[in-house]
Amino acid sequence: MRLVKCWFCSSTIYPGHGIQFVRNDAKVFRFCRSKCHKNFKMKRNPRKVKWTKAYRAAHGKDMTQDKTFEFEKKRNRPERYDRNVTEDTLKAIKKIDKIRSTREADHISKRLKPNKQKALKSDLKEIDQHINLIKAPGSQQQDSEKVKVMVSSNKSVQNEAMEE
Amino acid sequence: MAAALASRLTKGRSLLGGLTNAFSGLVSSSSGSILSQQQQRTFIQMGTRLKVVDNSGAKEVMCIQSLRGKKGARLGDIVICSVKESATKVDVKKGKDAIQKGKVKKGSVVYGVVVRAAMQKGRVDGSQVRFDDNAVVILGIKEKKTDEKGKEKKQNYKGGFNQPLGTRVFGPVPHEMRLKKQLKILSLAQHLV
Repeated sequence: MRLVKCWFCSSTIYPGHGIQFVRNDAKVFRFCRSKCHKNFKMKRNPRKVKWTKAYRAAHGKDMTQDKTFEFEKKRNRPERYDRNVTEDTLKAIKKIDKIRSTREADHISKRLKPNKQKALKSDLKEIDQHINLIKAPGSQQQDSEKVKVMVSSNKSVQNEAMEE
Repeated sequence: MAAALASRLTKGRSLLGGLTNAFSGLVSSSSGSILSQQQQRTFIQMGTRLKVVDNSGAKEVMCIQSLRGKKGARLGDIVICSVKESATKVDVKKGKDAIQKGKVKKGSVVYGVVVRAAMQKGRVDGSQVRFDDNAVVILGIKEKKTDEKGKEKKQNYKGGFNQPLGTRVFGPVPHEMRLKKQLKILSLAQHLV
């Protein structure tokens, strides 16, 4: 039993799933489901189809280079069965999976975080462009100074009438 | 051959079909409308044109009877065919493709085993395989004897068709040949799938 990758979306194909298409030049294309197969028949380039792994890798959306990927390489030589090795491998698979997924999540969150330097740059530019909206520091101080003006209290005629 | 190609085009498949590299970057919007109806691949039945992938002399062959299955032949089954186009020296006056020692002429009736089928075939591990075209390897010529026709045919078939007529096989060959006891074809094949 061998787990292979879908040619279009790069997901793993488990036994009993999908179709493999053999082209006349003997190149084999494996598809995980009919969605990928149909897209292939439509001659769509997976590097341009947004939901595929190929697109995400090509556009830097997903993590591509990491040591954890090296554990999953295709090996053609069968290993002699050793119970201890098998047990260790199973444990390692789980651990590596966990590490890889946390690293991938980190990569994505780092990508989504606002870039502070970039934000600062754009803010400075905005200030430069719209400087006319901002008052000069000297003028601002003048306005804030409160001046006391003496006002004689003349009672208005209307008020007197109302009081009575 | 031209008619077969024309019919393929009208069904919405480009000429190059599966031979183009998917990374060639065809604009999907222009070809999407044409390719929206997807072909339903079915059995190989009477009238089906098949490509011949050995050097027996024939180029294209038309199925006239499938020796297995009511609905038609699938990958690995034997069919009786009539040679529609051949490259044997008798038929091709001049040309580089003319095979000197071509064994089959145009119009002869032959037995062939389907080595590539466009219809998907299920394998024991649960996967499905499908090829780009329908292709056949010629196994033997059907003898045309009036009196002993019944006997001759029975004799031929009982022995089974294990030896292909040609000496070379082109293109990929599936593992299904092993189940069908076509071991010579497997040994001649360039690529095994």
